[in-house]
Amino acid sequence: MANPTKTTTPDGPKIVFRGVEKAFGGKAVLTGIDLEIGRGEVMFIIGTSGVGKSVTIKHLIGLIEADAGEILYDGQPVQDLDEAALYPLRKKCGMVFQNSTLFDSMTLLDNVALPLRKHKGLHGARAYAEARRRLEQVHMGEFADRLPSDLGDGMRKRAAIARTLTLDPEVVLFDEPTTGLDPVSARRIDKLIRELTDTLGVTSIVVSHDLTSIFSIADRVAFLYRGVVHVCATPAELRASTDPVVQQFITGQSHGPMETPGF
Amino acid sequence: MIRRVGRASVNLSAAVGAGAIGVAREAGGITLVLLRVLRALLPPRFDARELLRNLYKMGVESVPIVVLTAFFTGGIMVIQAGIFVERFNARGIIGWAAGYATLREVAPLLIGLMFNGRVGANNTAELGTMVVTEQLDALRALAIDPVRYLVVPRVVAMVISIVCLVIMGDLVALLGAGLFSHLLLDVEYATVFYGMKDQLHLEDFTHGLIKAVVFGLAIALTSCHFGTSVKGGAIGVGRAVNNAVVAAAISIMLLNFFMTYLMR
Repeated sequence: MANPTKTTTPDGPKIVFRGVEKAFGGKAVLTGIDLEIGRGEVMFIIGTSGVGKSVTIKHLIGLIEADAGEILYDGQPVQDLDEAALYPLRKKCGMVFQNSTLFDSMTLLDNVALPLRKHKGLHGARAYAEARRRLEQVHMGEFADRLPSDLGDGMRKRAAIARTLTLDPEVVLFDEPTTGLDPVSARRIDKLIRELTDTLGVTSIVVSHDLTSIFSIADRVAFLYRGVVHVCATPAELRASTDPVVQQFITGQSHGPMETPGF
Repeated sequence: MIRRVGRASVNLSAAVGAGAIGVAREAGGITLVLLRVLRALLPPRFDARELLRNLYKMGVESVPIVVLTAFFTGGIMVIQAGIFVERFNARGIIGWAAGYATLREVAPLLIGLMFNGRVGANNTAELGTMVVTEQLDALRALAIDPVRYLVVPRVVAMVISIVCLVIMGDLVALLGAGLFSHLLLDVEYATVFYGMKDQLHLEDFTHGLIKAVVFGLAIALTSCHFGTSVKGGAIGVGRAVNNAVVAAAISIMLLNFFMTYLMR
């Protein structure tokens, strides 16, 4: 099977990971990630728990610093940027965290209005009107005045997506967006991710274990194993793969060649 | 025997060394927070909405407990001074005796410790929870500087709040002293009032306020440092709150000693 860690999109790669390594407390997690992500692509990063999927995407916006290797965004290296220099990149490259990370003390409206106030120069009623519009886009308008603690996981995730999209990012990183959601909410999130790419041209990088999501909305899938991209393929190629590790992951069998941290 | 003593002394040295390194690490972390806050304040660019929210939460909501503490502190000062006032029949100095200790020492110290327990602990817990639930990372991912957005408004709010609370506490403590002087020692209100007016000086009041500013800064920097450097989930948050409260309380006591010496 082909192992296209390089993108084939006509505009070339939007994001490049080249030999990225990261260890925590002497334990190597990433041992050389090589991956290219094209403009307007929906790239899924999959693999077992603890393999370094979230760690990989956090490198892109400087939430984690690489020990070695290179990360390019539009051809520009980002791994050596200091905190202040990362802010322009973070405005272009948003992230939706696994736990939604809405601010507890604020209503959904205030959460979504915050980046508008800080970066779009909107204040008062204008910021709230725009925040409400953004919440309505993810069908959360009627919950705008509620606190995050009053809502379920799916609703919080949708609001977190609305907050991330307020800055009109070119790239959105989704860290396990459907984990813990019921199937209906999960498919709604999938639809939202696909629409972002199809209608707005947003490049999406999705960390996930959710096979239904992978096979329904991914353009390509990078399978991480032992700290590297073990396989990078389209969903159809992945399904047809004869690689025993990939097959074990897809079929979810407990016995097989795959080493799982902690087991 | 010699070997055992040698081993014990090595262990003791190692423990002392580790403790000293730990204290130096935390002191360094607190200094870094101070430098980041100063950088953010020159020129002052921070979130006014967060400042107002924190002023309400830290200052306004602390008023009842400060009023209660200060009122009875005034009473305690009268009871302590009353022993000598009655022995030497020096009723004219009761206002000064209660006011001097209250303004210079007791009000800033007690309010500082109360503020540390209520506001400092809460601040560490809130920031620590934001760290372990990735809310701080989410702020950074939204290109919002957590120091400017979260830390600076809290530091400014704590300093302003504690100064206002000490001023209010001074007033309530003096009123309490007047009331308890009358009730317990049968001293006229006017005697207490004129005793305060004639024998207390402006610097007795300002010394207390200077202490309040320094205590507020110590509590704010300590609680923000321990809150933002939490590691290890809920257990880590609990440990950080404990460390922050203890470190700030020790800082308050040491700073109070040196300031009292310097401003004597």
